[in-house]
Amino acid sequence: MPVIRADRTKCEGYGNCVIAAPELVDVDHEGVVVVLQEQIPESALGRAENAVRSCPVSALRVDG
Amino acid sequence: MTTTALGLPTSGIDLFSDEVLADPYPYYRQLRDMGPLVELPQYGVVALARFAQVADALTDWETFSSADGVGLNDILNQAFQGTIIASDPPYHDQLRAVLAERLAPRSLRALRSEIAARADRHAEDLVARGSFDAVTDLARAVPVAIVLDLLGFPAEGRDQLLKWAEGFGNVNGPANERMRGSLPVVEELFGWLTTTCTRERMVPGGFATTIHEAAQRGDIPQEAVVPLMSSYALPAMDTTISAIASAVHLFAENPDQWDAVRADHTLIPGAFNEVLRMESPVQAFTRVTHRPYSAEGVSIPENVRVVVLYGAANRDERRYLDPDRFDVRRENVDHVAFGLGTHSCPGQGLTRLEAHAVLEALARRVDRWELVGEPRRRLTNITRSLDSLPVVVH
Repeated sequence: MPVIRADRTKCEGYGNCVIAAPELVDVDHEGVVVVLQEQIPESALGRAENAVRSCPVSALRVDG
Repeated sequence: MTTTALGLPTSGIDLFSDEVLADPYPYYRQLRDMGPLVELPQYGVVALARFAQVADALTDWETFSSADGVGLNDILNQAFQGTIIASDPPYHDQLRAVLAERLAPRSLRALRSEIAARADRHAEDLVARGSFDAVTDLARAVPVAIVLDLLGFPAEGRDQLLKWAEGFGNVNGPANERMRGSLPVVEELFGWLTTTCTRERMVPGGFATTIHEAAQRGDIPQEAVVPLMSSYALPAMDTTISAIASAVHLFAENPDQWDAVRADHTLIPGAFNEVLRMESPVQAFTRVTHRPYSAEGVSIPENVRVVVLYGAANRDERRYLDPDRFDVRRENVDHVAFGLGTHSCPGQGLTRLEAHAVLEALARRVDRWELVGEPRRRLTNITRSLDSLPVVVH
């Protein structure tokens, strides 16, 4: 199953990812991305890809 | 439909004519339907009007370079060589790093309550008046005050900044009358930045000071200072103003969408994305291919200038169902109004902060927007702008 990975050092807290895939990622109280759920079910793949694409600093990726 | 040496379908649509600028969307549809790559012989460029091609161009800087300039005329492209918008990595990344931390939404969180308070006071005043112009009294008022303070520009000359910013929508276009008419503006702006916005005269702690300090440390060359100041100051104005005015326009024309937002303020971020998708403030920039590119059996070699049509991509029926419908609940976070990839707008966190605060303040107070009098559009080469939008609020 594909997984979503976040580079917390790149994250600047834009939060576009949260709007795209709220079940997979969130932004913590310091404004840094947190992966809520690594495994991406089929139904969420489109949203995961949107989250990756919408990140202005390319902090997210989908593996597998 | 004829073909040229590139072997592509060609179109005589003049994207920068008054007619098309007034309402580009039917023309964008024609271009999208013609194919993924359409030559515009009048301007010597290939148009990318579909979402897929726009996304490819923006995310693959090695194929689609910005280093040969992103405007549509040689004068501007030469003058702006080496600016952040007209650079590729690695130099681009060096420039971008200067303000990245300060513009990161994380850093802007500290401003949230102040921006919200400002937006709120402003909304209160306007709603009390009952009738106002959503461009001159709302859209132009809020972002300008916030951004100028953040940038730390001296008070002297600030009132000109808006005029200069508006000129940029034209000078990036092709070498037409609109573009030539706005050229003096570029000179004035650079003159002001060079002579008035010197290190000692900037308000300490502002973004402009950060830029000066980076040059002092040797992080960027001294010649990069003025261009970098202009690169961050100008887009901060015209584009945000455009978006806020468009928001009022769209909500006035779609009261059911305003009702939805009023009933549920968590819809505001998605609603603002939808405004940007429907009326993208920046409609066009260019790239030059450094490698061949192909799509659906057609291709272009290297050294071709392409025009990236953000507004067309954002209404591509191949990506968005019923794309001309303003729907605040639509899945639209992938719109390209802020660009994508390495050049994607570094100020989008601030823009969202401002716009969400304005919409929030209005959603608390305005039941219904009524358009009175004709909205007046300002035709500029690459930006989508309103000059006047008289409204009455209920």
